[in-house]
Amino acid sequence: MHDIIHELDRRREAARLGGGQKRIDSQHAKGRLTARERIEVLLDEGTFEEWDMFKAHRCNDFGMQDQQIPGDGVVTGYGTINGRLVFIFSQDFTVFGGSLSETHAEKICKVMDHAMKAGAPVIGLNDSGGARIQEGVASLGGYADVFQRNVMASGVIPQISLIMGPCAGGAVYSPAMTDFIFMVKDSSYMFVTGPEVVKTVTHEEVTAEELGGAVTHNTKSGVADMAFENDVEALMMTRRLFNYLPLSNREKAPVRPTSDPTDRIELSLDTLVPDNPNKPYDMKELILKVADDGDFFELQPDYAKNIVIGLARMEGSTVGIVANQPLVLAGCLDIKSSIKAARFVRFCDAYNIPVVTFVDVPGFMPGTSQEFGGIIKHGAKLLYAYAECTVPKVTVITRKAYGGAYDVMSSKHLRGDVNLAWPSAEIAVMGPKGAVEIIFRDEKNDPAKIAEREAEYKAKFANPFVAGARGFIDDVIQPHETRKRICRSLAMLREKQLDNPWRKHGNIPL
Amino acid sequence: MFTKILIANRGEIACRVMKTARKMGIKTVAVYSEADKDALHVELADEAVCIGPAASKESYLVMDKIIAACKQTGAQAVHPGYGFLSENAEFSRRLEEEGIKFIGPKHYSVGKMGDKIESKKLALEAKVNTIPGYNEAISGPDEAVKIAQGIGYPVMIKASAGGGGKGLRVAFNDQEAFEGFSSCVNEAKNAFGDDRVFIEKFVLEPRHIEIQVLGDSFGNYVYLNERDCSIQRRHQKVIEEAPSPFIDPATRKAMGEQAVALARAVNYESAGTVEFVVGSDKSFYFLEMNTRLQVEHPVTEKITGLDLVEQMIRVAAGEKLSFTQADVKLDGWAMECRINAEDPFRGFLPSTGRLVRFDPPADSDGEHVRVDTGVYDGGEISMFYDSMIAKLIVHGSTRDQAIERMREALNAFVIRGISSNIPFQAALMQHSRFVAGNFTTAFIAEEYPKGFNSSMVPHDDPAMLVAVAGFVHRRYLERASRIVGQLPGHEFKIGQRFVVIIGGNQHPVTVTEQGNGCRITYQGEHYDVESDWHFYNPLMKGTLNGRPFVMQVERIGLKYRLMHWGTLAEAEVVTARAAELMALMPKKAAPDLSKFLLSPMPGLLREVAVSVGQDVKAGEKLAVIEAMKMENVLKAEQDGKVKKVVASAGTSLSVDEVIIEFE
Repeated sequence: MHDIIHELDRRREAARLGGGQKRIDSQHAKGRLTARERIEVLLDEGTFEEWDMFKAHRCNDFGMQDQQIPGDGVVTGYGTINGRLVFIFSQDFTVFGGSLSETHAEKICKVMDHAMKAGAPVIGLNDSGGARIQEGVASLGGYADVFQRNVMASGVIPQISLIMGPCAGGAVYSPAMTDFIFMVKDSSYMFVTGPEVVKTVTHEEVTAEELGGAVTHNTKSGVADMAFENDVEALMMTRRLFNYLPLSNREKAPVRPTSDPTDRIELSLDTLVPDNPNKPYDMKELILKVADDGDFFELQPDYAKNIVIGLARMEGSTVGIVANQPLVLAGCLDIKSSIKAARFVRFCDAYNIPVVTFVDVPGFMPGTSQEFGGIIKHGAKLLYAYAECTVPKVTVITRKAYGGAYDVMSSKHLRGDVNLAWPSAEIAVMGPKGAVEIIFRDEKNDPAKIAEREAEYKAKFANPFVAGARGFIDDVIQPHETRKRICRSLAMLREKQLDNPWRKHGNIPL
Repeated sequence: MFTKILIANRGEIACRVMKTARKMGIKTVAVYSEADKDALHVELADEAVCIGPAASKESYLVMDKIIAACKQTGAQAVHPGYGFLSENAEFSRRLEEEGIKFIGPKHYSVGKMGDKIESKKLALEAKVNTIPGYNEAISGPDEAVKIAQGIGYPVMIKASAGGGGKGLRVAFNDQEAFEGFSSCVNEAKNAFGDDRVFIEKFVLEPRHIEIQVLGDSFGNYVYLNERDCSIQRRHQKVIEEAPSPFIDPATRKAMGEQAVALARAVNYESAGTVEFVVGSDKSFYFLEMNTRLQVEHPVTEKITGLDLVEQMIRVAAGEKLSFTQADVKLDGWAMECRINAEDPFRGFLPSTGRLVRFDPPADSDGEHVRVDTGVYDGGEISMFYDSMIAKLIVHGSTRDQAIERMREALNAFVIRGISSNIPFQAALMQHSRFVAGNFTTAFIAEEYPKGFNSSMVPHDDPAMLVAVAGFVHRRYLERASRIVGQLPGHEFKIGQRFVVIIGGNQHPVTVTEQGNGCRITYQGEHYDVESDWHFYNPLMKGTLNGRPFVMQVERIGLKYRLMHWGTLAEAEVVTARAAELMALMPKKAAPDLSKFLLSPMPGLLREVAVSVGQDVKAGEKLAVIEAMKMENVLKAEQDGKVKKVVASAGTSLSVDEVIIEFE
């Protein structure tokens, strides 16, 4: 019996070494952790339950039959983050470059299937050279099996992808279908075709980092949601993100009790909006002063900065925040910001996370590049997302809410539950200047008269009371009591029930 | 007594005067510029009158507007504060003509003390020590050398109309005297249009010590002891204290009596200050008289128990001084730090913008800590006025106690959104020479010859930072462990062994629950931290091994930013295993400094604020882009030199278009 037990220990030890010490050292030399080390940082200490440690591939071609490393290049199992269940797969670059074989894919599918049954999120740590070429079509099938599961899990259990090494070709489409993609600067990249193919086909000279590095996907393409300096930081921040998420769509947004008083007054908010309507201010200050403990987990902070999205807590419960950012492009909506916010609103809706929207939007961005780029269709995504969304929706208009953008930003008309406005709010079809130039076209050449008309228009429409009179605004509030008013609204909405008509699925303008 | 007075000033001093007026039952009128319409002094006043645009010369300096405001509101008297019109003899004369009382000295006293040569003559006549020197017109450099020889080197050659270090030369020998005279005359002519210069003894190891005097219209005078204002940066006072650590009772008495003699010589009715330079041998010489309330008057109030503004108002209203010299107290020690909106780590560049947080130290007993300020949480620091946003004044029974209280008060002063000189003040407060009282007016120039950087405020007790970081992390984990939805029976367990990482150095600690706080064991020592701090509060008040402390704690991503005694430490706390793995992470060099300023958005380039060859500091304004009718200011991300201005004002820019190239 002792021998058998020792044999298990020996096998485990061998499996834990993955591709061997040399390859582990080389992984470290590249500034990367190994698959198992990553799991150690990500999960609560000592909670990892590993499955399929001895799984072996079934390939008999190209000499693969002589190369068997237990586990086959991916470490899978489950554990906890702050005591809450999570399923994990972590690709092991030291084993066949983390390449995906049929059996490697089977291991990933197994944890995903369990995650669906148990109703708990899946976190994938990606570090793979791509398909196991020796296996040919079996490997491709493995990818597709994972993709199908990603899609079935979408909106049922949260899925988070960390890109911690290469992720190229078809492999990118698994992370692409998950809810969040985090990347590590200088050591991870994602692209459909690599620099060499790019060079052959389009004659563009580009490095892997430029083509698909963390900075590229966090600033230019918007594919990724956050970029981190190194593996440890990325993993620890993933723990933080996890704390905001419900384990599945069967649960409400999680609660973490806070000592932050609901009625905390922030007098400085009374002076946040400048007197000059053309002067920007930082909407993030409002978010930080309103959220529990000033905690705000911003997503896509470096992409389409004219809109801010992220997770926070109010009275301990997770909320999603969407806010126009007057500091960038005056906070107007354009293609990128519409897509960014739309996907986030749908994420929140899928996982029962209430949406708090802060509005200061002068309109949609004009210009040929926007129209040619399809702002009509992309702007419609945000409108669609807010309109179909059934979770509690609380909206605060701080300043401008002009034109179609007013309608889009979680307005009363799109089933906003509680719509509040600061006294500085201006809810109108457009700014006073533009409006007057159209209504009083005949007086255009008389600056004195135009100025008078402008003042008249401003007095009439550049305030929240016209909208208030129609009930489009539920109340006009003092900026300093914003936290209290949002908390109360959310508390009132905690048991909100609203269902959309049954359908197979809507047809969002993709 | 007056029933309504107007305060012809802004900022902290206007607020401070109003507080006393209110205490005395006098209604107050504020005047304000358009830039100040939401300012605190406007809020505090019973009435407020707008007197013009932001620029002082179109508002606070326009006598007609202030006199009109008095008439409009029926104010019977004007308190001028300091600066602006406070030492303008014409203003005080015109008020008198209009039948409005000037809460300050009579115009003839102001006039006589306003001219440096004139005031020195008066001082001589009043038997006040003056610096040996020559006040007559000097014919040329040869005569200057002769005079210098007569006085004895070193000598100072100074423009009569000079100030702020302009038109000033020090000569240690004949040649320097000869050359210094010529260049001084030229500079004086160019800078002030007045080429009169004088030569006087240059005092070695000088201190700036001033005597507060008070006189009434009945010929009664008292001196209210001295203030030591030697801690100056580029002739701007930084720290003031009363009494001076250098002055003995005999010297104090001698200086005080001479100050009173001078006040008497000009029939001085109000509060005034006689400035002396004091040499290392305790010889003191008259410099000038400030015929107004000084910025640093609160330190005198703290040691004498008097309200100087109240005294000024009473005297102006024709009351007699209610006390004599024998009644003047010197109780304990008072110190004042000027809190300026400037960045000490970037060459003390002024910092303007929104005060995202402004929370001055609370005075628990109303006795030891006083804050005079004209700004508030959420207020705006504009570029139009002085950078001083507050005065932090403390009192202690000894100088050491005052320093200790000041250090704690600086710890508790929360300012966000703009930079302040608090780290610099904290560094001064712990500087051994300052603590020993061993300094001259050259102190800052000598000790910080190349400016100031964060390495100049090392923490006295680095273990304290480690311990507090451990405590904060324990609180963080406790909060995290209360999340709902944990696996029953497998809930999160908070460990005990952690590593605190500060500045790349790993400090292993154990953290355990202990009483109402935590026990942090670090390098074999125990640190018991107790505090009822909450995450939403930037201020942590607590005790470390029973000793109270105040520290500012902020969370930035995974890091805890601790601010204490001028040190800013960023601490990360991780498990022992994570620390091990962290050590494997690559040390990344600072990202390559971008050599270009690119347009972050499509828009119209309104302004390029720099020119080719100009050195720019990080944070400096480079250009302004207008997009969506909004102005966006682009600032330098790092120090550099402008190589080329690629785009000119008025051009339309697309995203990522190059505006400026750096060397």
